[in-house]
Amino acid sequence: MEAVINDYISKELVQDPALLPLGNATSLLETGVLDSLSLLRLVVFIQERFGIVVDDVDLVPENFDTVDAICAYLRSRDGETAGRA
Amino acid sequence: MAYLLHHLLRDSAARAPERPAVADGGHALTYAELDALSNQVARALLAQGVAPGERVGIFARKSAVSVVALFGVLKAGACYVPLDSKSPAARLAAIMTDSGITVVLAGPATAGQAAAMAGAVPALRAVVVADPNRDGQAAAGPEPGTATAGEPAVVPWEAVLAEPAGALPADLTIETDLAYILYTSGSTGTPKGVMISHRASLTFVDWAARCTGLGEGDRVCSPAPLHFDLSVFDIFASCLAAACMVVAPENMTVFPSRLAGWIGREQVSVWYSVPSVLTMLAEYGNLRASGLPRLRAVIFAGEVFPAKHLSRLMDELPGPRYLNWYGPTETNVCTWYEVPPGAELTAPVPIGRACANTDAFAVTADGDRVAKPGQEGELYVRGPGLMSGYWGDAAKTASMLVTNPFQAAYAEAAYRTGDLVTLDEAGDFIFLGRRDGMVKTRGYRVELGEVEAALYAHPAVREAAVLPVPDELLGNRLRAVITAEGSLTREEVLDHCRRRLPGYMVPDVVEFRQALPRTSTGKIDRAGLQGTDIQEREEAGGH
Repeated sequence: MEAVINDYISKELVQDPALLPLGNATSLLETGVLDSLSLLRLVVFIQERFGIVVDDVDLVPENFDTVDAICAYLRSRDGETAGRA
Repeated sequence: MAYLLHHLLRDSAARAPERPAVADGGHALTYAELDALSNQVARALLAQGVAPGERVGIFARKSAVSVVALFGVLKAGACYVPLDSKSPAARLAAIMTDSGITVVLAGPATAGQAAAMAGAVPALRAVVVADPNRDGQAAAGPEPGTATAGEPAVVPWEAVLAEPAGALPADLTIETDLAYILYTSGSTGTPKGVMISHRASLTFVDWAARCTGLGEGDRVCSPAPLHFDLSVFDIFASCLAAACMVVAPENMTVFPSRLAGWIGREQVSVWYSVPSVLTMLAEYGNLRASGLPRLRAVIFAGEVFPAKHLSRLMDELPGPRYLNWYGPTETNVCTWYEVPPGAELTAPVPIGRACANTDAFAVTADGDRVAKPGQEGELYVRGPGLMSGYWGDAAKTASMLVTNPFQAAYAEAAYRTGDLVTLDEAGDFIFLGRRDGMVKTRGYRVELGEVEAALYAHPAVREAAVLPVPDELLGNRLRAVITAEGSLTREEVLDHCRRRLPGYMVPDVVEFRQALPRTSTGKIDRAGLQGTDIQEREEAGGH
């Protein structure tokens, strides 16, 4: 799962080549990778790839600041995502 | 009467000295404090030898720092140039060199980066640090000192605070002098500087404050960065009304429900942004929970607001007025439309009618004035809100600021927007599209030619064409089609672009071809490329 998320963010959202290879613990907010539009693209990707709906209230830095945080969030919804990654 | 932008601050500081002028996180500046601190900045700039009309860079994000800095520049009789510290250094250096900047104002966080620009901009001789959130005691930022070979002098905030805080003895400028230069994408590969005079800016600011009914109780927020002309509103219209400008913390717009909560807590009453931020709020902001009772006006500009997202926003938040403002940087906001409450929206809302002291008219391909619904033409704008021209580019200026074709009695300038419009039954203008190679992405203007020029700068690129791919949220995504000599990867192309272009101009999709299709006249066949199969594009884009 980490590899899938990391690969998408690295290929689609990272603007600054100095950030690559992207660490799974690197803050996507502090490095400017996430803005309002790149977050939306990421959410759309996650929803399609893992077949879940990301709720408004889940769209918080705690769940999206790093690749690790995103994967932890996805695992917390494990019942819905099992076997898809 | 105010005829210079900083007169707005002088008047509000006299009328409402204790009202909050800027709220920036835990820090707040009153009008009296903003007035006094910007007087000190002005004197520090004059002490550095800044002359009337000189361009001074502002190397700080929109904040209390940059508001103090830009009023200081104006009071010194100079003209400010916002420098986006997130832009590639090469682009910043090009802008600083083009505008002839020798002195830069920076915040404590960016002073080091600003001073380092001297390597690429040898003319840079001083960096003045502005840090209004701090008193003059503790030192921060780079070591202060005088210039040594190749290094600009760093003037610390302590030295600025040592200057007298009273008003400067006399105005050093008149209303036709430049207040600021905003750099936008240029079709030939270099950014072009749009020169805005005090009078042009005040034409917009006066109208905007009246249009929104701004008053002392208002808290105004726009997340648009300083180099984006949307920020003229929250800085100067707030100042006119002695309202409070509320600074959105960095990254606050990223998470919609957090942003909605923040807007509520900060009691923002007037919001101004590009539509995409509002789309995020409408779709993911959980707005019904927060309600935002203080929010009374929502203004959007910079790109088309898709009707379904605007409808959703107005359903979720039925309280505020909704205003669509239109205008290229060259004209300030020149037309506006108020969306009627409860309107059934099936198409993007009109750009509306001309603002006060401004005239907008459309000219058909035959040179006639568009007079009735169904006729199409290019929108022209005239009036005191127009730019003075492009910095250092008389030829480009002459091609865009033309003689008003409908004024026979005397020569008068009109700006050709390049935007195609028509009229609706009510007499409001409707935006149809562009007549040239400029597109909007993420609310920013991008000249496709500038992206192509960056691609051609790569030695292995033989041919390049950049095409817009319409995208509901981004406005457009950018698709680069390239023929290359030898092996060239998508990553190499992107890496190359990211070193030359701001993020929003870097192509979203890169596609390689053996050859580019040509028209009968030998030009690259853009229409033919435009029709490329989506499947091919997706594969080439590495999805």
